[in-house]
Amino acid sequence: MGLPVTPLETVLLPERIVDALGLEGYGVLGEFVAGLLAAFLVANIMLIMTAVAGPWAKRKIRARFTDAIAVNRVGPFGLLIIVADAVRLLSKEIIIPEGVDRPAWELAPIIVALSALLGFAVIPMGSGIHVADPEVGAVFVFAVASLSSVGLVMGGYASNNKYSMLGGLRAVAQNIAYEIPLILIAVSVVVFAGTLRMSEIVAVQAEPLILVAGIAIPSWFAIVNPFAFFLFLIANLAEVGRNPFDTPEAPNEIIAGYQTEYSGVYFVLFYLGEFIHIFLGGAIIATFFLGGPAGPVLPGFVWFLIKIWAIFLLTQWARSAVPRVRIDQLLDIGWKGLLVLSFLNLILTALIVGVIAA
Amino acid sequence: MSTLEHAPEGAVEVDPDEVVDRLGDRVIGRDEHVNAPAVIIRPDEVVDTLTVMRDEFGFDLLSCVTAEQFPDRYESIYHLKQYADPTTEFSIVVPTDRDHPQSQSAASVYETANWHEREAYDLIGIEYQDHPDLKRILLPDTWTGHPLTDDYNQDKPQVVAYEAHENPLLDHTEGAESDTILLNMGPHHPATHGVLHLKVTLDGEQVADVEPDIGYLHRCEEQMCQQGTYRHQIMPYPDRWDYASAGLINEWAYARAAEDLAEIEVPEYAQVIRTMGAELSRMAAHFLALGTFVLDVYGEFNALSMYAIRDREKVQKILEDLTGQRLMFNYLRLGGVAWDIPEPREEFFENVKKFTDEELPASMDEVHDLLTDNEIFQLRCVGTGVLEREVAKQYGAGGPVARASGIDTDLRRDDPYGIYDQLDWEVITDDAGDVYSRVLVRVREVEQSAKIVRQCVDLLEDWPEDEREIQSNVPRTLKPDPDRRVYRAVEGAKGELGIYIRADGTDKPGRFKIRSPCFCNLSTLPEMAEGEFIPDLIASLGSIDIILGEVDR
Repeated sequence: MGLPVTPLETVLLPERIVDALGLEGYGVLGEFVAGLLAAFLVANIMLIMTAVAGPWAKRKIRARFTDAIAVNRVGPFGLLIIVADAVRLLSKEIIIPEGVDRPAWELAPIIVALSALLGFAVIPMGSGIHVADPEVGAVFVFAVASLSSVGLVMGGYASNNKYSMLGGLRAVAQNIAYEIPLILIAVSVVVFAGTLRMSEIVAVQAEPLILVAGIAIPSWFAIVNPFAFFLFLIANLAEVGRNPFDTPEAPNEIIAGYQTEYSGVYFVLFYLGEFIHIFLGGAIIATFFLGGPAGPVLPGFVWFLIKIWAIFLLTQWARSAVPRVRIDQLLDIGWKGLLVLSFLNLILTALIVGVIAA
Repeated sequence: MSTLEHAPEGAVEVDPDEVVDRLGDRVIGRDEHVNAPAVIIRPDEVVDTLTVMRDEFGFDLLSCVTAEQFPDRYESIYHLKQYADPTTEFSIVVPTDRDHPQSQSAASVYETANWHEREAYDLIGIEYQDHPDLKRILLPDTWTGHPLTDDYNQDKPQVVAYEAHENPLLDHTEGAESDTILLNMGPHHPATHGVLHLKVTLDGEQVADVEPDIGYLHRCEEQMCQQGTYRHQIMPYPDRWDYASAGLINEWAYARAAEDLAEIEVPEYAQVIRTMGAELSRMAAHFLALGTFVLDVYGEFNALSMYAIRDREKVQKILEDLTGQRLMFNYLRLGGVAWDIPEPREEFFENVKKFTDEELPASMDEVHDLLTDNEIFQLRCVGTGVLEREVAKQYGAGGPVARASGIDTDLRRDDPYGIYDQLDWEVITDDAGDVYSRVLVRVREVEQSAKIVRQCVDLLEDWPEDEREIQSNVPRTLKPDPDRRVYRAVEGAKGELGIYIRADGTDKPGRFKIRSPCFCNLSTLPEMAEGEFIPDLIASLGSIDIILGEVDR
């Protein structure tokens, strides 16, 4: 009858690992080892996706938009460029400029990469891949994602470079201006779902909304509240720093902003952090608005990947097509536009939910 | 509009005798240059004389300042023109003492004299009194000697002690109390379009002061031209000034000046080919300008810059078919062009027509869709980097920069050469003077150039086969009469590209001076950018469309 919905996974990944490896007898230690293995697995999935996205997919996607060809010399479809680029990037010299503020300078890229990875801990990815499901999952994911601002301002400030300084300040100004609307929109979803637990947010969206020609349309929040979905997409573009909101890097204005002075592995970490951030943004959007891993026929995890790659594609599309706004215009849009609209969205949602409840 | 119908508005008729009468005892002599009458004045009367010329005789454009050294004296020549009618020209010659070359600065009358006199001081060594900031402009501050003088020793190495460069910013440290920071933008920066250094003083994100520091790409072009023979050795150099595809226009600038100097006629057929080639060059140059500007405003991963390069490539292919070269064309010759349209002619014309009639309109629609109609783009560009009309005149701005500030000037129409006056096309102007209008003017000019190319193709297709004369009879060795002087300009892709040549009776020029449009346009940058944000500074710089090879020569 209706759209086949992947049944909600109640068993978390660490518990499965405990079962599979027979670690029940080891108590807390067994759970700890299983948790580490689960985190390792999820982190590696994300790193592999980044490795595909950074050196290869991004270039191919951009080439499609710009009438270019992009990598096609190394391996089939140029896929081996991933290996070549990894070797190239990792073997580059780390140049440490004079007068940088160590260890803040070294910690910054690690914080940026780490904060994005941490967020995936609470994301239900379907097919049983879900590391942890705390009651405050939604709060956790936004909290760790915004940690990256600390990394950016650390990098900008510690680099002893005026361009880095400007970039770091821009990054913080932008993240504050856009994180508040982002969270307010997420709150409207939470009000609707009545829970902060990620698995429950996904479960609520699995309920059929209406029947169209015999097919049940699930009550994904993107369908229930397209306005909030649209706002969230825009705020997310700013959050991950892509056009039209890529002012913190703005290579034509301030070289590369906070990452101007980074080379070698540190540069890789910054880039890694940025890409994982884009994927985390996609994962949050998928979980909050697109029913998480839900989808017909294919396994849940595949649907989850399709959704976050779709969001990745959207960021690359924006990057190819729209100009960058000026930093003051960017703050205007954030504080005077998005913030007001997201408050409006929140109040309306609260009213509607209140009426339904009454 | 063709020139024949164009009656210049606001142009003032000038009678040389009247000028001499009005200037009275400031005048110490008279001369006749090939392009204009000249008066020789006392070096302490420059400001008064130029003020009279500007205010009473309508010379609102100081085209160029040429400095020269002679065995017994130095000379500065102020080439005056009127924006409304650039054929009304006048030269003010200021001789100074050989031992103490000092003359009054014109910077208080024409803003554009500021940079030009700095260049004259740098290369020739004339000291301009009361100049606001007389220091070297093309060569480093530590340079000793003035390279275009006869007693300069080229073989002596320029040794600079390390101490002199140890910390060039030491004086700029403003202490903890200061509200501003000094930001060095360049010489290596993604948005400087070459090696340009901007000393930017920032108040937060706002630009409090910006000072362009040029000369990183100075290649002694004027001196090299002075060491080449008119007939063959100079023509390759112009390709290297505005090297971003505008080569044929540059070559025409030299050809026009030299042909007037040596009184060489050019066959009509060659003029048509020249006109077509120059407009193709202009299109390629404008496409590149558009592409790089889009990079500055959109960021580096956008589609439009690639589209612009793709279209430029099509023009480039046509130019390659015509000249055999992609960048350094070396196609024009004194008295004509190197060779005829390549065989098979029909195929060449088909290619050009396919581009102008089918491909270009489609890609122009795309440009208007993605760029000029884009709201975010308008948000960024409308009302920023404004250059007022009168300010633009003061700085001697030209080309799209001047036309976007509402100055209706175009040498192709006002001082016609080639066959421009027989064709149907328009001069594009806009009144706003902001970044947006400069881009818009450039985009529309591409369409006009395509119109000109199309008409040239029609003319060439119907040209009778036995009348295809590409080259007039020019002596193997050209020796123009000594002391003949000419200043001639063409409308370059960036504005008035002028060449001053003084013949000294040999087969090489006695003095060869290049008036670069980018040089004048770049000097307007502080007017556009001060008080704006950093992104506006970048957008303004991009909208000026500088080619550092032409700025620094």
